[in-house]
Amino acid sequence: MHGHPTSSGRFRRATTLIRSLVAYHPGLFAISMSGAAVFAVCTVGSSWLLRWIIDEVIIRRFDTDTFSISQTFTAVGLLIGLSLIRACGVIVRRSFAGRAQWRTAQSLTDEVVDVFVHQPPQWHRRQSTGDLLTRAGVDVEASVAVMAPLPYASSVILMMLIAAVGLISTDIALGLAATAVFPILIGLNVLYQRRVDKWFDIAQGELGVLSAAVHESFEGVTVVKAFGAENRETERLAVIASRVQSARIEAIRLRSLFEAALDFVPNLTNICLVVGGAFQVRSGDLSVGELASFIYMFTLLVFPLRLIGYALSEMPRSQAGFDRIQNLRQSPIINNPRTQFVHDNDVLALYSASIGYDTDSVLFRDVTASFSPQSFTAIVGYTGCGKSTFVQSLAGITPLLAGSIKAPRQHISFVFQEPFLFGTSVRDNVCMGHEFSDDDLWWALNIAEADFVHDLPQGVDTIIGERGVGLSGGQRQRIALARAVIHRPKVLILDDTTSALDPNTEIKVLRSIKMKLPESTVIAVASRPSLFGMADQIMFFDQSAIYGPTTHIELLIQNEAYRSLMQAYEKPSDTEDKS
Amino acid sequence: MTDPQVAGAIETLNQGVRAVPSLRQGIGFTLVLAMIGASGRVVVPVVIQQAIDHGLHRSVQGTTQTVDISLVIKLCLGAAIYLLIASVAQRTAVSRLGRRSESALYELRVQLFQHIHQLSLEDHNDEQRGSLVSRVTSDVETLSQFFSWGGLAYLLNGALMIIVAGVMLVYDWPLALLVIFISAPLVYVLRRVQSRLIAAYDASRLANAHLLGSTAELVTGAETLHAYSAGHIFGQRVKKASKVRGDAQTKATLIGALLFPSGEIFGAMAVSTVVFVGLWRGSGSGLTAGALVGFIFLTYRFLEPIAELTEVLDQTQTAVSGMRRILGILAIPVGPTAAVFPIAVDTQRLDIKIDNVSFSYRPRDGESDIENAPVLRGISCEIPFGTQVAIVGETGSGKTTLGRLLARFSDPTSGVIAIGGVSLNRIENESLRKIVVVVPQEPFLFSDTIASNLRFVMPQASDQQLIDAFTNIDLQDWFETLPAGLETLVGQRGSQLSAGERQLVALVRASLVNPSILILDEATSSVDASTEVRLTRALDRLSLGRSTISIAHRLSTAARADRVLVLDAGVLVQDGPHDQLVKTPGVYSEMYKSWESSHNTAE
Repeated sequence: MHGHPTSSGRFRRATTLIRSLVAYHPGLFAISMSGAAVFAVCTVGSSWLLRWIIDEVIIRRFDTDTFSISQTFTAVGLLIGLSLIRACGVIVRRSFAGRAQWRTAQSLTDEVVDVFVHQPPQWHRRQSTGDLLTRAGVDVEASVAVMAPLPYASSVILMMLIAAVGLISTDIALGLAATAVFPILIGLNVLYQRRVDKWFDIAQGELGVLSAAVHESFEGVTVVKAFGAENRETERLAVIASRVQSARIEAIRLRSLFEAALDFVPNLTNICLVVGGAFQVRSGDLSVGELASFIYMFTLLVFPLRLIGYALSEMPRSQAGFDRIQNLRQSPIINNPRTQFVHDNDVLALYSASIGYDTDSVLFRDVTASFSPQSFTAIVGYTGCGKSTFVQSLAGITPLLAGSIKAPRQHISFVFQEPFLFGTSVRDNVCMGHEFSDDDLWWALNIAEADFVHDLPQGVDTIIGERGVGLSGGQRQRIALARAVIHRPKVLILDDTTSALDPNTEIKVLRSIKMKLPESTVIAVASRPSLFGMADQIMFFDQSAIYGPTTHIELLIQNEAYRSLMQAYEKPSDTEDKS
Repeated sequence: MTDPQVAGAIETLNQGVRAVPSLRQGIGFTLVLAMIGASGRVVVPVVIQQAIDHGLHRSVQGTTQTVDISLVIKLCLGAAIYLLIASVAQRTAVSRLGRRSESALYELRVQLFQHIHQLSLEDHNDEQRGSLVSRVTSDVETLSQFFSWGGLAYLLNGALMIIVAGVMLVYDWPLALLVIFISAPLVYVLRRVQSRLIAAYDASRLANAHLLGSTAELVTGAETLHAYSAGHIFGQRVKKASKVRGDAQTKATLIGALLFPSGEIFGAMAVSTVVFVGLWRGSGSGLTAGALVGFIFLTYRFLEPIAELTEVLDQTQTAVSGMRRILGILAIPVGPTAAVFPIAVDTQRLDIKIDNVSFSYRPRDGESDIENAPVLRGISCEIPFGTQVAIVGETGSGKTTLGRLLARFSDPTSGVIAIGGVSLNRIENESLRKIVVVVPQEPFLFSDTIASNLRFVMPQASDQQLIDAFTNIDLQDWFETLPAGLETLVGQRGSQLSAGERQLVALVRASLVNPSILILDEATSSVDASTEVRLTRALDRLSLGRSTISIAHRLSTAARADRVLVLDAGVLVQDGPHDQLVKTPGVYSEMYKSWESSHNTAE
């Protein structure tokens, strides 16, 4: 246990963890604990009952050979009655422990979700998706995992206390001997969980590696087949699979060893109790019934002890999960870049802006540019020169590193290069929770050339995305376009959005945007020459300089780099274009 | 319990054992060890009975007690030794079962890798991939879970119940039968509760998957949500899913909470019956006080495993359906089968001959029995060595399929494709892959360095050979821009490179094989201008001295080819050079016209 050097420190951390988890729903937890107490008392009671039945009922019956109806019925009645009460205790304990556990999980998830919602994109970009999902999924479940066995574990401790008192008061020597075994068993259980879990964790890790490798290998099956590498790939995967296998075998080997020891120790203790008990019975200090109930009590406690071991070994994992969630909650909420916009309904302009993802790698410095209202600007430049970052800054998705933006207060719509659709209906994907009429919806779908929605099984209410109807890249992009235009935005920014469409559709979409959204200022990152022709003005990105917005002709005349880029575009098709 | 479901499960398990015969190895000895191990569990009740009846004998009225200490000690010593033996036996049984099953599952995994890699490409489409991966990972895992918990529980608890029942029958058979009779309904009750529990767990698993899915959207769609100020609305959706998950789990734990007490109540009833009947019969029937007390302990031990055994039934169902899915994969016939009597092919100057080739996809399981409509019909043509051919046609015309058949990713339904006069299915796979190389539309790169992606086709290649490969197809200028040269990491699926750059790597990779025939599936996505220039240049160099077959999406590519094959609805409708086809009225000239008009509006 690295990092937690003292056991008292570990204990303090554990109690803090439990206290903070219980604090979410203390009522539910308290009910569960009272069920646990009923269970503990009844369990100890049942062993006393057994002693009474053996001593006063069974042995007397066989010694005196007289059958007492009333005594027999009392014995049977008490046996069944006590077990019914005990069963009720168990039901209350378990169901409320589960309720407390999952309601707490719900509260934790909600807290994590709030963080996801409130943090702006630049925060999300710095986190890995997998990591964030782990917080909301695995970490929440790990945090609350310790809650389920907690009431049981406490009832076992209560039982042990009562039992220890009972055992010792029945017979001091035997009682002390039996109770001394408990800590040994708890220690053995904890050790068992930790040692075996380590190997199961290793196996789990290797399994993750295997899954990733298998996925990649199957995904690349065309390459594997194209180069006849089937056997080599099988061998590569087999090596990883054999690592899973050997970790598992080691885990199982250790497990079998511990299981056997955990069975052997209490059984041996029982045998020793019989020997010790025989001496006590001879000296008249102990009755046969007391001895039997002694052994029964001891046996009753052995299995629950394993659960304490389990709960204790779960503790570090819960702790780690809970700590990670707390870290996430305590990270300060970053400012939304849009709140820093200076609002002006007729202007879209940048003033001495520095653009980039972080201050160490500034893409453009001191950019001042303004886009005339209702114009159509194409942004042109080589791949990877920062066009996307530029337009994202303009839309308030990426913050400026310095400088300021003046933009209309009204809607700025941004369409991403890779459309993101949510696993919900077309309607929800376009409206995104905002109020729009069906007419607005169809109007937007129509501009985006997304009339294919008519042919979907439930029209605009068809569920799309991961769990719904599969759409092609072009179709997805058109839904994303409709999402942008439905706001009749003052500013519409397209980040190389239309290149997934075929050239004809692309032209159609852009034309209807120009026609039906005459009020909008449109800025489009363009990779196809067809777009340049439609634009009123062009902004050209070269290395770390930005030219324009100005006209295509102007740029051709003045800018050498722009000229050579235009030539490069023409070259692949020059054979037949001029016919 | 011999309903069809059980019979089906047994049949599946038998098939599983047939697929992995090593599962059965040594199972007999493991069973014997498990029995010995389980018998250790009845030692304590037997010792108590013996001690009470013989060692702790007491006179009537219980005033004086004569305790035979030496007998008790002898008894306990014997018991301790037996316990030790039983523990060792149990340990050995558990670890033998574990080792055997893990090794067998490893074999099963390798068998699956081999088989899946050999499946034809139509079984490898995007929708299927996830399920193929989970066959090898999670389905094999359910089997592993089963063997290390469920199978073990069957083994140990089954053995325990048999032995406890045996000992009880020896002590007092009428009482033993009574206990068994009373316990029988417990199995039914537990099954009822458990089937509810399984349904509840399924519901909560579903709710959980739903929660994770919508949380994933919240994270991956963060930019979109921000851009449309929709974070709160979608956040509410996730919270709703979180509540549904909480409800489902709460319900499941409530049902689970009923499971244990039902065993408990049956236990109390069985013990009460034993006590009542035992007391009523008294010593007259040969019953002793010790035997009755021992019997009480044995009854508890007898009931203990029932709950666990019924719990395992659920796991068994999961394992059986996992096994069934795995067997389902192994039952899919592999793609083109290996050449039976391979014929060696001269690797130089190979002509291609396509003779009356038709192709239709094999109907999938569960789909109609009707044959799928043919994708290609009666295609015939000859392609002399060194020809640059372009195949054009609308989406769905069959051009991609024809490319796949030429690379023998599938075999034609009828007709023959021959290279150098030898039918493709008579050429050994390894030599075929040196003759024909495919550069797919979206070339796949492994998440590794450029070098290892290239060595994928030529494991022994030196760094210099790899660098030369760039130079050979005129890409040295691009190579110099790579941040870490050959050691540049390409990212998952090559995501660190642009689409065009991935194609460049794919071309270098293809060039290393130096094939006689190159099949190029042209990309539809747009590539930035400078990469486009490089691609064209590299392709020109790569085409020299081989036949190339381009599956062309852009007519500019077709225009540059020596010869154009025009497919329409699976039929070869036109075949000739571009210049000639443009002038002939037909499919091609129509395509060309519409393409030209769309391009001119752009300029």
